[in-house]
Amino acid sequence: MWLTSKIKQLFVVAKPGTVTLPYPFEPRPVPENYRGQPYWDHHKCIGCGGCANHCPARTILVRDLCNELRVMMYDGSRCTYCGRCADLCPEKAITMTPQYELATDDKRDINETMELFMLTCQRCGRCFDHEIKNAIDKLAYLGYRYDNLEMRAVIPVSSQTFDKELYEKTKTYKRPEKIGE
Amino acid sequence: MPSIDQVKNDLKEKFKSTIKGFETPLPTRLFVDVDKKNIRAICNAVIDMGARYMVSIGYDNIARDNTLGLVHTFSFDKDNIFCCVRTKVPADKPMLDSITPDIPNAGWSEREYMDLLGMQFEGHPKPKRLILADDWPKGVYPLRKEVPWNLMPPAAEDVAYQLDEAPEGCTTVPIGPFHPTLHEPAHFAVYVDGETIKGCDYRGFMTHRGIEKLCTTQVTYNEVPFIAERICGICGSVHATSYSQSVELAAGIKISRKAEYIRTFMLELERVHSHLLWLGVAGHLIGFDTVFMHSWRVREPVMWLAEKITGNRKTYGMIIIGGVRRDILPFKEDILNVMDKVEKELIAIKNAIVGDTAIHRRTKDVGYVSKEDTIKWSLVGPVARARGVDIDTRRDHPYAAYDAVQFDVPVVDTCDVWGTVLIRILETFESIKIIRQVLRDMPVDETLLYEFDEPIKPLVHSISAVEAPRGEVVHYLITGEENRADRWRVRAPTYPNLQGVPLMLLNNQLADAPIIIGSIDPCFSCTDRMAMVDLKTGRQSILTNEELERLSRSKKV
Repeated sequence: MWLTSKIKQLFVVAKPGTVTLPYPFEPRPVPENYRGQPYWDHHKCIGCGGCANHCPARTILVRDLCNELRVMMYDGSRCTYCGRCADLCPEKAITMTPQYELATDDKRDINETMELFMLTCQRCGRCFDHEIKNAIDKLAYLGYRYDNLEMRAVIPVSSQTFDKELYEKTKTYKRPEKIGE
Repeated sequence: MPSIDQVKNDLKEKFKSTIKGFETPLPTRLFVDVDKKNIRAICNAVIDMGARYMVSIGYDNIARDNTLGLVHTFSFDKDNIFCCVRTKVPADKPMLDSITPDIPNAGWSEREYMDLLGMQFEGHPKPKRLILADDWPKGVYPLRKEVPWNLMPPAAEDVAYQLDEAPEGCTTVPIGPFHPTLHEPAHFAVYVDGETIKGCDYRGFMTHRGIEKLCTTQVTYNEVPFIAERICGICGSVHATSYSQSVELAAGIKISRKAEYIRTFMLELERVHSHLLWLGVAGHLIGFDTVFMHSWRVREPVMWLAEKITGNRKTYGMIIIGGVRRDILPFKEDILNVMDKVEKELIAIKNAIVGDTAIHRRTKDVGYVSKEDTIKWSLVGPVARARGVDIDTRRDHPYAAYDAVQFDVPVVDTCDVWGTVLIRILETFESIKIIRQVLRDMPVDETLLYEFDEPIKPLVHSISAVEAPRGEVVHYLITGEENRADRWRVRAPTYPNLQGVPLMLLNNQLADAPIIIGSIDPCFSCTDRMAMVDLKTGRQSILTNEELERLSRSKKV
């Protein structure tokens, strides 16, 4: 019993031969519709902010610098590569490239920033009533929070930046007992 | 065999005025509103009718009527009914009878809401901290709406979890938080007498990522499937499907039949690669690395297939509310080829394993739990099926296209780790069978995604369960305003099964502890999904080389 099973195992092991891929020397080609690093085509983008609205990781940030200038920033360090932005883009300005070797020592390498010149209204000369009621708010489903570039600070620093009052209060909270007390 | 009306009548007869009302949004869902006084007796009555306890859900309702809500959910597996017993307590005095003395599996759920909502349970046998970090300040309940999602109190030094007292004459052997057999952080304090295990205490929840709070405050319904998918590294589609189904049930959305078939396919593909992965891990845990290497070799084509179909090896991103994103039919030939190959190779591996006496000796009679205890502790998935409990959500509560495919549910009654090995191998063959049926029967021309514009009504409760490779996943959803959920509770299969681990470890050899813990296919990240932030805590002390040597030689812990 013991010996026969070992001989069987020997066949299982011997049959496939070497299966390890010579990876770093020969990168494996990815399939056709692979979801790698997203790429924004600034010629096609109309700056509607639909991608920012639907990004589950909130990696796409939108900021209006003035009436005509909108900055869109993609923060690759938090991207989950779900490809939802590419699905939803009305102008097909976003493509999921086959690029997957994204390791870097500077995370700015995988960010992408676009400065878009927006058209202004011919009647009032303004593009949006921004900050209070901009196009994202109108386009958006309810629940979208207006992101801005500075708010990226919220992710690593958390409440130290935001809930100052509460943060002060937490310092005085009663703690569980120390060991041995 | 109680029908939904029988359950209603029975409860009404027994408890009369303490039952405040019934709600049956679907023929398979029963919500019972009860007074908090009788909660323990009512839960017992439901269990006596043949139900299995699933999970409890606590939620904050302070803004509406100044109460905290609690839902105990039960499943009638033979009759395809989910029964949810809802109650509420005033927020200023949230006292409630504990149901843990009768239903031991409720222990963690209740401890969870002691931590997160500040509820108090009278008669709870072990009212210790479960979810929150040891230095989390007292009196701050992160799941209450008033606490912001990104609150991060400063860390405190010199606080640690007090483990249970070791039984007399026993020595404590710590396994974890980081241990080669665990793969993810969790701490087991195993009490041993010589080589025999006499008890065990567990301190886990070290990978809180605050997903539930995040998804009910920061994103909207549509984005959550992708976040849900990342709760677990292995059963991603399971969580996405379960979440999507619960939203669809709450909103009354019917998805196309083709989308249901594709969901079934994704779930089964996941089961194939998950079981192969587990088989490898199990081989590795008992020191049989050949099994590990070769089951993972067989698994690799499945991963490549998934990459080809969905665009990624693991986080498929296929399932969204209202349907699926991509079609699988263009890859029909590829899928069938890969399945044939996997089936052939798996038969070879199965024969090699079944005939190997070394594996038999390492797994037979190890981790024994009787069938009665399995039912009492509400264990799920392959762990329960290896102990003679015939439950499978796919068959008992059909969802997606499982009502249209034929498959067997393998059940063995060896009651040990060997049974779980066997069950998982057999289930893989069943999954391959289901995949072939899906490809054969799937409608060709149907829309993949159903678009809907109407807002979802707030405060609708819905529950959805999906059979993950490791057991049953339960998602409970309370819809809210602002296009996002008010409360979303995820119960991963490891959550009940991990509570049964002390039972499995009892009277076994210490050397078998890794494979026993491994036999439930523990997924700590799934289990720990809750709470808000993860704080690095615990006592830090640096030992010099001499001190360490002295400590080790003095044989005192």
